[in-house]
Formats: sequence, C-alpha cells, structure tokens
Amino acid sequence: MAELFVPQTLDEAVGFLESHAGSATPIAGGTDVMIDLRTGGVRTEWLVDLSSLGSLAGIDLDGEQLRLGALTKIRALEVDSRLARRATALVEAARVLGSVQIRTMATLGGNLCHATPSAEMPPALLVHDAVVEIAGAAGERSLPLADLFAGPGRTTLEPGELLTAVRLRIPASAAGSCYLRQTVRWSMDLAGVGVAASMEVDGAAIVQARVALGAVAPVPLIVPEAAEAVVGSELSPATALEAGARAAAACSPISDVRGSADYRRAVVSILVQRALRIAWLRATGDWPEGLLAPINGLLAEEPA
Amino acid sequence: MTVTQETNAAEELRVVGKRLPKLDAPQKVTGQTVYAADVHMPGLLYGAILRSPHAHARIRSIDVSAAEQLPGVRAVIHAGNVEQRPYGYGQDNIPLKPDKVRFVGDEVAAVAAIDEETAHRALELIRVDYEVLPAVFDPFESLAQEFPLIHDELPDLIGNVSMRWDFEDGDVDAAAAEAAVVVEGDYSSPQAAPAPIETHAVIASFAPDGHLTVWSPVHMVFMYRKELADCLGLDWRHITVIQPPVGGSFGGKIDIDPHDFITVMLALQARRPVRLVMSREEEFIGTRTRQPIHIRLRTGADAEGNLLFRDADVVSDNGAYNGWGSHAMLVAMNTITSMYRVPNSRIRSSVVYTNKNYGGSVRGFGNPQATFAVEQQMEELADALGIDPMDLRLRNANQSGDVTPQGMEITSCGLSECLRIVREQSGWDERRGKLRERNRGLGAAALIHVGGGARIYGSDGCGAIVKVDDSGQVTLITGASELGQGSETTLAMIVAEEMGVPLDAVHVINSNTDVKPWDVGVHASRTTFVAGNAARMAAAKARDQLLETASELLGAPIDELHVRDGTVEVVGAPERQIDYARLARRRLLREEGSVVMASAFYDPPTQKQVDHRGNISAAYGFGAHVAEVEVDPGTGMVRLLNLWTAHDVGRAINPMSCEGQIEGGAAMGVGLALSEELVIFDGEIVAPNLHDYGMPTTADVPRIVVNLVETIDPLGPFGAKGVGEAGIIPPPAAIANAIADATGIRPRAYPMRPWKVKEWIDTEERSHVIENGSPVDG
Repeated sequence: MAELFVPQTLDEAVGFLESHAGSATPIAGGTDVMIDLRTGGVRTEWLVDLSSLGSLAGIDLDGEQLRLGALTKIRALEVDSRLARRATALVEAARVLGSVQIRTMATLGGNLCHATPSAEMPPALLVHDAVVEIAGAAGERSLPLADLFAGPGRTTLEPGELLTAVRLRIPASAAGSCYLRQTVRWSMDLAGVGVAASMEVDGAAIVQARVALGAVAPVPLIVPEAAEAVVGSELSPATALEAGARAAAACSPISDVRGSADYRRAVVSILVQRALRIAWLRATGDWPEGLLAPINGLLAEEPA
Repeated sequence: MTVTQETNAAEELRVVGKRLPKLDAPQKVTGQTVYAADVHMPGLLYGAILRSPHAHARIRSIDVSAAEQLPGVRAVIHAGNVEQRPYGYGQDNIPLKPDKVRFVGDEVAAVAAIDEETAHRALELIRVDYEVLPAVFDPFESLAQEFPLIHDELPDLIGNVSMRWDFEDGDVDAAAAEAAVVVEGDYSSPQAAPAPIETHAVIASFAPDGHLTVWSPVHMVFMYRKELADCLGLDWRHITVIQPPVGGSFGGKIDIDPHDFITVMLALQARRPVRLVMSREEEFIGTRTRQPIHIRLRTGADAEGNLLFRDADVVSDNGAYNGWGSHAMLVAMNTITSMYRVPNSRIRSSVVYTNKNYGGSVRGFGNPQATFAVEQQMEELADALGIDPMDLRLRNANQSGDVTPQGMEITSCGLSECLRIVREQSGWDERRGKLRERNRGLGAAALIHVGGGARIYGSDGCGAIVKVDDSGQVTLITGASELGQGSETTLAMIVAEEMGVPLDAVHVINSNTDVKPWDVGVHASRTTFVAGNAARMAAAKARDQLLETASELLGAPIDELHVRDGTVEVVGAPERQIDYARLARRRLLREEGSVVMASAFYDPPTQKQVDHRGNISAAYGFGAHVAEVEVDPGTGMVRLLNLWTAHDVGRAINPMSCEGQIEGGAAMGVGLALSEELVIFDGEIVAPNLHDYGMPTTADVPRIVVNLVETIDPLGPFGAKGVGEAGIIPPPAAIANAIADATGIRPRAYPMRPWKVKEWIDTEERSHVIENGSPVDG
C-alpha cells in the first residue's frame, strides 16, 4: 500500500517528487492512477496528492490566448460556453471522455500525462498549437504538446517534473475546429480512431489548418502534410479527400480488440474529411454557433 | 399501450392488472439489501481459485507446500486431496481438475485464508506443472477432426461432438423443388456473457453436527442441493441452501458451477465458514456464457409468399463442458421449425466441444441466435418475392389452435396483433425502403418462446403454501426464486387477488430450501405461469377455509359470501361481515382448533419431448419488434434510433413489471446485436471487463416503446404467460434487417460492430437468392 503525501505548494510537490524520484507518483483526479494501482500497472511507495494545489486549476481566456491549468477538470472544459464557440474541438473531445462522473474527477493534466494513445484531449489541443508548461526543481520550461509524448504511457517529463498548464491560441474570428471519433459504443468508450481538425479562413481561402490524430499511432500525431492539402483555397471534397489520404498514410495503427489497422486507416481518412468539413462550416459561419457535431461527424446530407 | 383481445367481463380484478412498484424496490434503492457478498459471520475465511492459464493441458503435478506454509492460509485444496465425483450433463465435468484442463479458466486448485490478499498471495505460491496440449477453438474444426480430443476420458464420445440432434417433418426436398424462391445463408453469433452487475458469490458453513448451510444466488435451488450432495458425497438431507437477494442473473446463476463445490470443499477442509466472491474478470472467465450458434439456413416459399420449408445445419459451440448450455440447441430448433407456419422442416445439429469457456443458460437460451437467421430470411424472402415483409409475416403467422411440426400446441396467440401494432407505430408502410438516402432503415423480427413452463425434467412443477395467521397477515411460501425479475411482487399480487386482500397484506417467503416447497427453478420464463398457478391454487384453498368458518359464523351459505379487502360480507347484507383476522382467530383459539393453511403443487399439463416431438410448454409467448437505425457508411457505426415492441403476455399481472422485463430484455438484445462479445485470442478472453465486452450504455439504447397484448391464456394464472426472456430475442434480427434496409447489405453475424458493418458495405455482402432453381443477385 502506498503512503499519501499532500503538498501545500507547487514547490513542495516538485521538491518531494524530485527527492523521491522513482518511488512517488503524482495523483490528481485519480481516474487512471487508481485503476493502475489496482491492476498492478503502477507500483509506487508514495502517492503525491495534487488536489490541494488549487492555483493549478482554471480556464483563462485573454484575447486569443487561452491558458488551461493542469488541474482543470474535464467537465469544466465540457461546459464552458466560450470554448464551445471558439475552441469547439476541445469541448467535443471533453464531452466524450468517460462518463460524467469520470469527467467530474479527471483533470486535463492527468489526461495528458497518462499518455494513452487513444486519449481524447491531445488531438483537440494539438490543432490549437498547444504548448505545455512544466515545473521542476531546476525551474520552469515549456514545450510543444507534441513533444510531451514519448510512447504509450510514457512522457518526456523528467523525474520530479510536473505539468502545470497548457497554453493555446484560439483565433478570435473566421476560425473553426472539430473533434470526431469512432467507437463501438456511443458513450463511455475508448476511441478506435480520434481526429481533430482546425482552420482559419480569410475570405474564401483557408490560410492555416491543423489535423491531429489519436489512437492510430504510439503517440497522438499532428499531421502537417494533411493540413497543407487544404490550405490556399476553399475546402472542396477533393482537397478534403487528399487530406484524409495523407493522414491515413501518416498514421501507424495497430490491430486489436478495437479494430484492425486497415479499418482504422480507412476511418482516419473518413473522419479527417468530416472534421475538416465541419471546421470549415464553423469558420465560414455556416454552422450554428455552439452546436456540437454528431460524435462520428455524419451529417444528414452525406450520401450513402 | 395495452391491448386486451378478450376478457371475461364478469371477472372484476382489484390487484391484478395494476401498475405497482416491486415490493423489494425500497430496500434495493436505499442500499439496504444484503446480497451474498455482504453475508458475514464469525470466523469467516476468504476463498480464491487458481485457474488454468492454458486452453488445453495435462496436469503433471501440483505442489501446494509453499502455499500451505503461508501464514494466514487455512486450507489449500486440489484434486489430490479432496473427495469429488464427476457431475453435470453427461458427467463431463468435475470441480477441481485431476488430470487435464480444457479451457483458460478451468479450476485447478483453491485456497481459504484469513483475508483476500493472503488468499491471492497463496495462489501465486502454488506450482502446477503442465504439459501443454494442442487446443481447438473453432467448432467446425472440432466437428471435422478427432484430434485434439477434449474429453478422452468419456468412452462413448465420438470425436469432440457431445450431441447430435436431428429432426425432420414433411418432405423438404420436394418442397424445395416446388419453391418459387429460396434464400440461403450462414448466420453466426458470438460468445456472449450474462454479465450481471452482482458477480457470483457463495458462502459455505458447516455446523458442528455436520449440517451444511450454503448461501448462494442460484435459482435452480433444489437441483443445486442434489448436485452438491451427489458430487461431494454429502447427505442432501443435511444441506440447507439459502438464496440471498440476487443482483442480476440473466440465466448466469441457474447452473451449479465448480466454484460452488469448491467453496464447500474449502469449508470442509478448513473447518471454518468460507466466502468466495468472483472478481469481474473471473465472472467473465470462469462463469457461464452464451454459446455461439452457427446456422446454415435455407427457407423457401411459393410465389404468393406461403412458406414451404426450412432446412438447417446447425453447430452449437458450447465450449469445454456441456452444462445445461448444450440444450440451447433444442430451443434454437423450436424456433427454426415453429416460428411462423412451416409445413416442411429439417434440421441436422451438433453440439461440439471446444477449448473455451463453456455455455450456460443465458436469457433467451438459443433463441436470439436462431431468430437472427430465421427472421432475416423472412425479409430476404419478402424482398425477393416483392412482398412487404410484414405481409409475408402475417400470411404465415402462427394462430391459436395451431400445432407446430414439433407438436407444440399453440393455444393463445397474439402474434398477428403484435405485428400490426409495431407496423403501425413505426410507420412501416410509409417508411421502410425509403430512408436509404438518409442512411436510415427499418427492420422487423418476431418471436416465439415457451411461456407456460418447459418440461425438460421429470416434473415442471412448483409448490406453494399459503397461511393466514392470527393477525390476518397472509404469507405465501413459494418454491419460486426472486432474482430481480419481480416474481415476489407478481406472486403476491396473484395471492392478494385470489384471497381478496390488499397487496400489502401478503408477505412472500421464497429463499430457504428448509422452508419452501419444491420447484424446478427459474428458467424458461416459467415462474409467473407455473408458480403463479400454484400460488393461486393454494390461496383459493386458504380462502375456502376462511369462508367455511365465515359461513358458520354469519349463518349464510358460502356462495352467498363475498370478500372485499380481507373482510367477508354476506351478499346483499354488507352489515353482516367479519374480517380475516377474526376468522383466523376463531379457527385457532378454540379447543381442537386449526390454523388457516393450504398447500398446492402445480405441474403444467405438458410433455417431455421424445425425438423432438411433444407439447413442451402449456403456453407460448409471442412478440414483434421494429428497429430503426442510422448506419454510418464511412465508419460502420450503427445508431439505434427507435425500437418499437409488442408482446403477447397473456395477461399483464403487473403491467409495469411486464414493461420492465421487456425493456430490460430488449436492451440486452441491443447489446447482443451491436456490441457485446467475448473476444477470444488463442483461447484467452481478451480484456474481460464490461467496457471491452461492450455492455451497452443508456446512450446506445433509445427509449423502447412497449405494447402489451393480452390474449388471456386459458391455463395461465388470470390468463398470464411468461415474458422474462421474450424481449431479448428479436433485437439482433430486427437490427440486422434495419441495417439491410439502410444499406442494401445483409449482416450475417453479430455483434454488428462498426468494422464488420464497414466490411460488409465495402465487400457488398448481399442476400443469396435462388428463384425457380436459378441463382439471382440479392
């Protein structure tokens, strides 16, 4: 049985993790750690309870800058109306993570640091150029979110380091984003494929775009070449199709109980096209503000 | 909606037919119910089982010395240090395996210790030397070859086939030659699990005089007691089985399992009470499953749509041992011959052993699997003939008075009415075949299932005792078992109605073999019908005892007496009255007095089938569902949008309870259709948890519309028929038909998980139709 340490300050937390490197595990919402403890996936002498570090929670939107504290609950992201309008992918990812009970406990930082390849939040954050802030005994540093992930269940955090916040850029206008996923059940399921897309539009042309994938590689993937396929013109079925094909080529899914590699690759192509289309409709004002997309992005007019 | 087809206007019902909450609901929703795993007693030890990690292996040796020496361990048992005998259908099973294990999860050894952690550490210290043998997982491989032989110890067995059951009625080949259209296809179903929220739990305790008490959520309790005694060499007169409230069974807790015997053997060896509670993973790995059934089916019809024949080759993959699960094949057979009027039918079936967890008696028991094939072919045939599938069904629907090819005598039958209701409510005529451009479709399926018991044993009966004590309180002591299906409430309502007392005057005792009269058990949707008739008969006798005394006291003949709210009145002179409590005391508190008490035993007038012929049930239940789906052609994800259901329940004793049974059953059927599967790789169940298994959530199940059709069965209590399993049967077929309507493809296996649907769409899986002897494209 692990002992519990409850730090009162961030310095105290970081100091303890540093001095107990290898024998201490931070715990925030506990929705992953408690299960890992029970199944033996995590064996640790100390649990460092971060829940009293209240300053690490919060959603601050200042102009185009969004800062999300690491202890922000997933449920808080899901119900934030500003995010629903301006960073829809984040809300669409948050609303499908686990159940309401799980989302009420789970934190953003925990979802990132657990580094599950199928995690919901990373693709949605990656399409908003997320940068993570990290505190350690040696001081603070930041790095692009994509560089946080080292493999399934592994991050590039040094022993003793804690992820404290995520910074994103949220364009104020003529922008849209979307997160879609494929699952077996319609709730409380892990993504077989997760796809996020975002774009900024100037006039009738896409000036910037991002495509990110979850569950189809050892780490969440940002796929620049897929995004480039749609930049420079309005979104057309042909450019979206090309983006989908490039994303499918870039990923490296495995075959398991949640689908074969070939199936997942095919679904990546489909969901990238749909996510781009919905992001486009949002960016061009042709989508009702704040309305979330169907989980799989299937719109009524899509031909069979 | 409730539709009553015919009723006796003179019969005025006061309790039956009312929507009443279950009697045990308040304890359950407030968390006060004491389930088996909550039972505590002084000196209680914790049991744990060591299971085989191999699908097929010979046990060379077992070394338990290190486990025995671990502090806190009170007993370590294995085949070498206990007395046990083979048990189960065909005597093919034994609790602790002496020489061979036959699936990943087979029981090898067990420990009792002072706490769970110690018990599990002790398991890790047991050394088993296995010689791994080749294993067989595919039932067709198992059928075709004799190697590897799974039950080499059974001398009469040929290869790995545990049962061959064939049936033929009429002349299928002649009918096939005449048919205008024949459809053919292979339909398969997965290994699934009952997955109750309460996992299995057993407590065994020996008294100093050797009397054994077992607490178990089992629901064929008298057979359980006998099998315990037979297998372990105990005197069954000295075994009491107590059934705590059950947190869900769905058939998974019918049969006795190795862990039941093991818990008793641990208690015997430790000389202390032992409790064994399954983990969720163990529940999937080590308790009974729904057997995959593979059906090659042909159905033919003439040009007008009259069914001419069904011809089936069926393989049931029941896993490593028979259990009762082997008999699911017989229910599948009933559906293939008797769902709709089929003048000629032929079935060749095999139940085969494979090196997998074995099948049990899960809700629906072979029927969802068979209906998946039969009802898809009804729509395939209709489409090939250019006839509306509902018209095809109505043309061939079973009717009251029919005797099916297997000799099932259909008395009350509301099938046509059920079909008409779901047709109307779903907008079938306006919408089927017209939603494809929106990726949507409608599909239907009907059902036939036993609803008046099922004679699979010497008796299909149930006993009941009704007593009225000096307070006027009425107690029903019934052989039936409550497992969440609501039998306590239903039976109490039947007694209240028959006695003329309010429901809250009736108490029900149903959970102790020392007290309750014999019953086969809860299976085959039989409790309301069989236990209900028994309770009604006993209640009538107890009421007559009271009326006899009332007649003396009130000075009026019995036929001039009337009971209202537990008070007997003289008809036309209500001031001359006396209540049950005073009547009971008048009989009791006198010289040569007597208690008010009566017993009854009801055994339905049915036949055990011989060569698959005979009227196995006293009544048959029917129903029809229509499903509406949206199919995502890109991902293969299927969203169930609507489910309309109509069920012939005979009479709804408690409409709310009937609706709950149907909704719950249908929700399970939706899970079977779209998501539930025990995925097995190299013989091992991958990810044995509720998430990967695919238990549906509320987001997967739409609001289910339930219609009750009351046909007032001539033999059912107040006309009621069984409905416990009915809801689960149509959804896989109805949803497959809806997917076909939405996409044009033909699903031939469930669960219809997204990648399979996507594959069928991409490969254009279609119906195989033969018209006038020549194949045409479906």
